[in-house]
Amino acid sequence: MKNLVKIVIVSLLIVSCNKSADYPISNYILRGGAFIVNEGNFRSGNGSLSFYSYDSLKIFNDLFVNANGRPLGDVPNSMAIKGNNAYIVVNNSGKIEIIDQSTLKSLATIQGLNSPRNISFISDNKAYVSSLYSDSVAIINLNTFSISGYINIRRTSESIAIAGNNAFIANWAQGKEIMVVNTTNDRLVDSIEVGNEPESMVFDRYGMLWVLCNGGWMRQYYAKLVEINPSVNKVVKTFTFPTKEESPTCLKIDGLGQTLYYLDDGVRQMDINSTSLPATTFIIQESGESFYKLGINPVNSDIFVTDAVDNTQRGYVLIFKNDGSFVTKQQAGIIPGSMFFKLTFETTND
Amino acid sequence: MNGQLSIEKDTFKIKEVIISGNKFNSEASGFKKKSIDSSILVDYNNRNLADMLSENTGIFIKSYGMGGTATPSFRGTGAGHTLVAWNGINIGSPMLGQTDFSLIQVGLIDDIQIYYGGASMIINDGGLGGAINLVTKPVWNKETLISLNTGIGSFGQYSGLMKVRAGNYNLQTVTKCYFQNSENNFRYLNKEEGPEPVWQTRTDNQLRIHGFIQELYFNNKKNITSAKIWYQNSDRNLPASMLTQPNTGEKQFDESLTAMLNYDASKGRSNYSFTSAWIMNKLNYVNRLASIDSRNYSQILTAKASLENSIGVNTKLKIVLDAQSSEVKSNNYDHNTTRNTATLAVSADRNVNRYGTSILFREILDKDHFLIPDFNAGAQFRLIDGKEYYFKASISRNSKIPSMNDMYWVPGGNPDLKNEYAFIYEISYEMKQNFSGPLKLIYNVSVFRYNIKDMIQWHPGVYSYWSADNIKKVNSKGVESSLSLDYTLNNLRTGVRADYSYTIAQAGGSNIENDVSSGKQLMYIPEHQANALLSFGYKIFYSSWMFNFTGKRYITVDNSKYLPGYILNNLNTGIKLSLKSTSIDINFEVRNFFNINYQSIAYYPLPGRSYMVKILFQLVK
Repeated sequence: MKNLVKIVIVSLLIVSCNKSADYPISNYILRGGAFIVNEGNFRSGNGSLSFYSYDSLKIFNDLFVNANGRPLGDVPNSMAIKGNNAYIVVNNSGKIEIIDQSTLKSLATIQGLNSPRNISFISDNKAYVSSLYSDSVAIINLNTFSISGYINIRRTSESIAIAGNNAFIANWAQGKEIMVVNTTNDRLVDSIEVGNEPESMVFDRYGMLWVLCNGGWMRQYYAKLVEINPSVNKVVKTFTFPTKEESPTCLKIDGLGQTLYYLDDGVRQMDINSTSLPATTFIIQESGESFYKLGINPVNSDIFVTDAVDNTQRGYVLIFKNDGSFVTKQQAGIIPGSMFFKLTFETTND
Repeated sequence: MNGQLSIEKDTFKIKEVIISGNKFNSEASGFKKKSIDSSILVDYNNRNLADMLSENTGIFIKSYGMGGTATPSFRGTGAGHTLVAWNGINIGSPMLGQTDFSLIQVGLIDDIQIYYGGASMIINDGGLGGAINLVTKPVWNKETLISLNTGIGSFGQYSGLMKVRAGNYNLQTVTKCYFQNSENNFRYLNKEEGPEPVWQTRTDNQLRIHGFIQELYFNNKKNITSAKIWYQNSDRNLPASMLTQPNTGEKQFDESLTAMLNYDASKGRSNYSFTSAWIMNKLNYVNRLASIDSRNYSQILTAKASLENSIGVNTKLKIVLDAQSSEVKSNNYDHNTTRNTATLAVSADRNVNRYGTSILFREILDKDHFLIPDFNAGAQFRLIDGKEYYFKASISRNSKIPSMNDMYWVPGGNPDLKNEYAFIYEISYEMKQNFSGPLKLIYNVSVFRYNIKDMIQWHPGVYSYWSADNIKKVNSKGVESSLSLDYTLNNLRTGVRADYSYTIAQAGGSNIENDVSSGKQLMYIPEHQANALLSFGYKIFYSSWMFNFTGKRYITVDNSKYLPGYILNNLNTGIKLSLKSTSIDINFEVRNFFNINYQSIAYYPLPGRSYMVKILFQLVK
């Protein structure tokens, strides 16, 4: 019996030694990398938060549940950081989880949102949250972590891009417009007709707004890539995809604001001055892979692609250098989705 | 056993003059079948089929909890792989290809027959896991029976069942009406939403069911003609997961109507049976938040004819022709869609001395093409003459036509889907023994193995929506064992009944490189499941203790996460008073006695301890 007790004590010591030797996740986060929001399966509550650390060159998974002792929620969709706080928008839980960006400890939860999708910061005090089902954008008070009001844009909403005093809000599901809201008085001021189902948007180095219109989830329409001049709310250029079968998603731009990237049967790359859509894929999707979301490191332009595999098992994050050369493939959570880069300026991949 | 006593007096029906469509135990030598004890059915008069099966058989039921959908997994197969029939006619929805067991009230049913594995092919195709045949039947005597069964319980549960049976040796009428209202507003401990667990009350979880069965039987000694109608509707709010936003306004309305005509005749060495049925199913689903208003209507017209002929003393030949025409109107399909199938099954059963063998071939005509024929073969051997010790073995190939949703749902339905099919191997040992007088033993153990191929799975593809394909392979194997021991002496009645099942159901690989789900236990299928019922009765008193163990169930395909196993205990006690032609049975039940906090599906809470009082009044004249 005594021996048994000793063994137990010794093994406890070993366990605790291992534990203390474990490098706290906050140190990795401080040194830079990318958060990955794993959506999980609808209604299964198996979404999670991962972090790819440039320091260790590996992914840390299940960060939210490990830090807070409870699951993140049902279908976390996106994440954004303002100051020290990270905001995770959990779509099917109708909430935003606010956590400390390095310790990942919960600070507050904003509940009662109607199918929220993305959060965009207007100022230090105010943010907008888009909604898949409701015709209003929620206004969040960042000081009190509460919903301070709604802007009725008469459309459902997806991505939000801010330029000057205007918020450009894409009416994605069954829509074809970008709604323009004045951020000083929270009023709908204009709308811009683009292609069907505007899904993602980025600004280029000249401040032009690029909108990727998916063409409809059932491929009813031709997809379009549209360039908008946000100072006059007018379409400047439209690229129409050659077939309805092409269903591009996830428009991103590099840190210079010069090169566009999107997913369309692999990763495509396009210069903003190009006169046509890219005919070839830049990074090929191998058989058995299911590319889902894209992220471009704003500092070194590393390309991050998530692979949802079969949407039921844990997916992967594939990382490529800017020239398309493969760096690493790391296992994340179920349906790894949107990514948020958390970088220090000295971060590079060299 | 000693639960509420059977009001049907089934033990007196030996005098039945004629053939019935269900020669349950004389068919298919070598295959495994089981009938649920009628006294157990009476105990579940005001509960649903899902509760009854999960507590009394090895069939695993995946349930969203009180009021929520419940689907079976029979020997590790999928929810659509259990064939559900009413008096031998398939009543499953042609759209879903599966049946919600939470909507079938046990009190309406007189006998529940379970066909394991290949045995289901006696009923029809599609029951890869097995078949559950819900039997309603007359009792040919000259009495009138009126019974009323009411229940009131925790969480706003009210239920009522009325049965009236009347007639004589030539004509019988049976009427059963049922209602159930349930608030299902139970308290549960939510450990998922915050760092500290909080007590919450389940909301938006109401269920209302109404239904009736009317049956008429005419018997003129040479043949029986019957007409039956089963109508049911249910209205329920679908509760959300603990993690999803509340008040999504999710509702489901189900309505079904089945009308059936049957003619059974016997002439010389031949038995004939003709059945035609019209089955209507309506399912409307509303999700206010997501602006979904899904309206689905289906109807099936079915005609089934069978001829059974004895050849010599020992051999029986049976031919069954079954034609079905299904029509679906749904705002989720491109247009109204029909499907016509016809099946021909030929089977032979031969019993000589201690040996029994059976063989069956089935050919399905789907629209205009013949599918690969299915077959099964079984053999059984009686170990000792005159004793009921059997050794059984069987092999089957059975297939399932894709559900119409799998083929035509927009988006993602795939009209080019092939049949799912399975090879099923099974051996079992069964024994029945009456020891010296009052002690009776029934024991059964089976080992089975399934190879399911071309299984349909909805998966993300090149489109942003999911679509259906024949991509999944599943291998399952396991052991089922059941034991029942009864001891009756004078006024004392005691009994033990126990079931145990061990199921390994694994994904059989895919075209994905390093597929981590390959060779792993399928989600939501417990490896171990056991239940036991201990019952005791003395004169007018009776009580029972039920124990149910469900092992851990994985909730990720790589088996990295699971729901822990749980043990539930139910206690039941009552008295039964009889006076001349009337009897009254007052019963008190405590479910989940130890107030266990558990989940059947992740983040869907289930109730703790609950109580129910039931009164069964019966008049026989």
